[in-house]
Amino acid sequence: MKITGKAIAAGSAVAVLLSTFSLIGASASVDPKKAFPTKPVTLTMWWWGEQEAPGAQAWVDATVAAYKKKRPNVTIKTVLQTTDGLVPGFAAAAAAKSGPDLQYFWGGIYSQQPGWDGQIAPVSDYIPASELKHYINATTELSFQGKIWTAPWYVNPSFPVLARTDILSKYNQKVPKTWTELLKVCDVLSKEGVPTLAGGVKDGWFGGWLYSIIGGQSVTNKDVVAAVVGKQKFTDAKHADWWTRLQETKDRKCWNSDINSLELYQAQQLWKDGKAAMTVVAGPDAPNFANAVGASKVVVMAMPKWSTGQFAGKMGSTSQTIGITQWSKNKEVAADFIMFGHEKAQLDSWYNLTGSMPADDRFDLNSVKDPVKKALFKSALPGAPYLENFIPAQLDADAVFTNVQLVLAGTKTGKAAAADMQAVMERLRKTDRSLVKNFTAWNK
Amino acid sequence: MIKTAPSEYRVTAPRNLGAVFGRVRTSGPFLWILPAGLCVLFIFGYSVFDLVQQSFKYQGDWVGFENFSLVLTDPLFRTAIFHNFLLLFTVPILAVMSFTCAVLLFETRKGMKFYRSAVFLPYILPIPVIGVVFGQLLQLNGALNSALRAMGFESLALDWLGDPKQALWTMSGIIIWKEVGFGTILILARLISIPLETMEAARIDGAGFFRLHLQVTLPQLRAVILFYIINESIVMVSWVFNYVYVMTNGQGGPGNATVVSELYIYRSAFQNNAPELAATAALLLLLATLVFIIGFFRIQRNMSKGVFDD
Amino acid sequence: MTKTHTPIERAGITSRQLILILITAMALVPGYLMVTGSLKTQEEFLNSPWSLPMNPNFQGYAAAWNDQFPTWFKNTLFVTLSAVLLTISLAATAAWGFANWKWKGRDTFLGILISLMVVPPVVLLIPLFTLGAKLGWISTFRMLILVYVGLMLPFSIYLLTNFFRAIPVSLIEAAKIDGASDLRTFRSVVLPLSGPPLITLTIVNLLWVWNELLLALVFLQSDEKKSLMVGITGFQSRYSLSIPTIMAGMTIATLPLVIIYIFGQRHFIAGLTAGSTKGE
Repeated sequence: MKITGKAIAAGSAVAVLLSTFSLIGASASVDPKKAFPTKPVTLTMWWWGEQEAPGAQAWVDATVAAYKKKRPNVTIKTVLQTTDGLVPGFAAAAAAKSGPDLQYFWGGIYSQQPGWDGQIAPVSDYIPASELKHYINATTELSFQGKIWTAPWYVNPSFPVLARTDILSKYNQKVPKTWTELLKVCDVLSKEGVPTLAGGVKDGWFGGWLYSIIGGQSVTNKDVVAAVVGKQKFTDAKHADWWTRLQETKDRKCWNSDINSLELYQAQQLWKDGKAAMTVVAGPDAPNFANAVGASKVVVMAMPKWSTGQFAGKMGSTSQTIGITQWSKNKEVAADFIMFGHEKAQLDSWYNLTGSMPADDRFDLNSVKDPVKKALFKSALPGAPYLENFIPAQLDADAVFTNVQLVLAGTKTGKAAAADMQAVMERLRKTDRSLVKNFTAWNK
Repeated sequence: MIKTAPSEYRVTAPRNLGAVFGRVRTSGPFLWILPAGLCVLFIFGYSVFDLVQQSFKYQGDWVGFENFSLVLTDPLFRTAIFHNFLLLFTVPILAVMSFTCAVLLFETRKGMKFYRSAVFLPYILPIPVIGVVFGQLLQLNGALNSALRAMGFESLALDWLGDPKQALWTMSGIIIWKEVGFGTILILARLISIPLETMEAARIDGAGFFRLHLQVTLPQLRAVILFYIINESIVMVSWVFNYVYVMTNGQGGPGNATVVSELYIYRSAFQNNAPELAATAALLLLLATLVFIIGFFRIQRNMSKGVFDD
Repeated sequence: MTKTHTPIERAGITSRQLILILITAMALVPGYLMVTGSLKTQEEFLNSPWSLPMNPNFQGYAAAWNDQFPTWFKNTLFVTLSAVLLTISLAATAAWGFANWKWKGRDTFLGILISLMVVPPVVLLIPLFTLGAKLGWISTFRMLILVYVGLMLPFSIYLLTNFFRAIPVSLIEAAKIDGASDLRTFRSVVLPLSGPPLITLTIVNLLWVWNELLLALVFLQSDEKKSLMVGITGFQSRYSLSIPTIMAGMTIATLPLVIIYIFGQRHFIAGLTAGSTKGE
């Protein structure tokens, strides 16, 4: 119980205690087979996803309409959030204990933290285990002390690198598979004034992606959590080396020169417009990018390998999720809607509208004909854990986003960046007084 | 301005006994002030009271000065405060620019009204709009740099907001751009009210443009410039959130190059789930602005005296 | 200035004129880029940001307007008008209390009240948010309006007190002798004389509330309640791939202010200078 607890407790600890007890009472008494309410019910859902899985809006609209047919007494209002507003918006709503009934979360820590802070109710209290076991990544990323906090919605193969063979072959280059090859391509292309990789870090998020796809090659999620709780250090070679790799991409002029003044989504357009040879895109969006350029000219792959680590050369896999808020008055209705989204008709329609993979193993992969998508989906199924989702969100924003910006601006070395990350983590263990306990319990 | 009457004439005395609202009248000024007073007391008084409480607690438990030591030892907090401090350096620049602009406008007959409207326009534009528009124009390959490159100033085409070394200065440039209109109008209004004879006398003495304005006009403008300086100092310390939030996607980047105290507080509370640290930082910010509050109080007192007792 | 100028004087005048033109250009350029940008296509804007839009393209405006601009406008209008009206009524009565009676501690009290203008709004943010959450008032207009009123009162009271003090005492005494109550004197003598400062104050406060972002961002969470400034901040990130649409949105958001500015310039200037030039 954090922002909720802390904010309110200042004035009335009693109220918090009361509400906590009533919530515990409510969740304990829930029986999934309980009669569905017949009174009019209105649910609000705050979500995100159109940004990385275009077509999601259409699916949400269609699914809400279809659900209305099935449950005429339930009305669902949906609100698409902005990328920058998703996390703070929900934090403020949680502090106010008013806001959505259903809330979208990114996977891993972004789904865990709200649970630790008492902002959401575990979906496993409302959705039967026989149903939940089909939801992809639910146990790896989302379970905590035997409960599953949020329900996976769609799978995010994280993050595919897209290479354009037309541009590479124009300069007699092959698609780089290893780090050394990548840097060589950078040398050649930078002389021609063509960026090898298109990226934008102005809004920060891409920093977290880079951490996961470059930094994730030499560690496992267990290592990362160990560094979070202080059993390892972010300055240890296996945690720190990737910062030097990152600096190499800057030194060898791999990126577009305006990487620091572009937002991520703006920068990806450079690749689409043929102004860069490679880029990194959100998994669900990769087929759209590939098809816009012409799938035959595009290779979808994992980040070139620099390490011999367990997950090097593998794509990460994470599921974006939907959670039920602690203050929702209709938790079982919310859960019913989530399960409705996992019925066959909705799974198929998700794929048809967005071209990305629903987070449900009952989805028939054989119905996927597009080769790009098929390859992508397969790569995500036994995928590597997605690293960014195993560090505290504040560490991500305060140490990863910022230091990636500085290294790519050329004002900080990789070594200094690693040292700073360690320093921020040490501080965080002091300011967030329950962090170590939670992370330890999560990673058991 | 209209000549003010000596206030003694209006000292409270029993009067108007026969009027309808007898009770209201006899109760003097207080009922008049009460609604506004309560509102102000509630908004400011309650807030400060609650802020002090929150900053000594963690999840409802009394923790003494722990939050203070956590905030004060946070390098990010110190960086944020330092950035507010650096922004204060734009204040003298603003004062000089406003003074110059005002004098130029004052000395111009042709098109003065148009220039005045134009110079003042930035001040009324919403900061989010300014932030968004400048954010687009100042990209490395944005409109400003494409113009600079076209004119052959390749080396001036910097990464204005993307390079941590100059992002804060770029931001101050934008703040100057917006705030200079306010100063100009303020100073100009005062300039116009200076008796013409003063300046004519100096001119007849052979004072040139620069001497006239530096030696004769400037001293007359002391009070208004001081007011402007204090006002802008307050802006730099406590009213720059909007610029930073809009131009850096709420991050204060690149790195922490543009983090200011307001953003630190906002992010502690609404992004990092640490309202007690946010409250502590807010309290510290309030203490820091106390310096300005006292300065402001003094100036206002002197000015009020001028009005009240003349 | 005399009619004849020496060459040096003339050079001086010309150079001053040139500087002014330059300053004016700098003040207007972002506006120019915003308006012309809003009428271009994305390619046109990227390739030649400075040119005039040869084939005006209104898609940006259509997209912006079909987004949630109408709702945001409505919300901002409601919040702004209520907050400003409330502020002015409260400030006017309070100012009359300060101006009409002399009482012990008045100047100190007024001084403290006025210094509150300096308190950074962010300081109030967390306590008031906590309180709003307790009351269930987050995402209600009443909470935000209350906060705005509280923040605007100090300056408003200050401005009006100064004005009321300046009303010729003979007028007030005359009313008193006629047996008018304080309320009636206030209503039929003071207020009718106070048109200009009230208009000024209205405009200054209007401008402030209309443009406020931080508090609106925190207090108005739900989508239907968002204010224009909060709306356009998110709007920017949603349309980051279409600069013309962003620019069109910004133009729409600015237009009402520019219109008020053009018609009420005098009052704007009077209001903003009032805080500083009185009593010198």
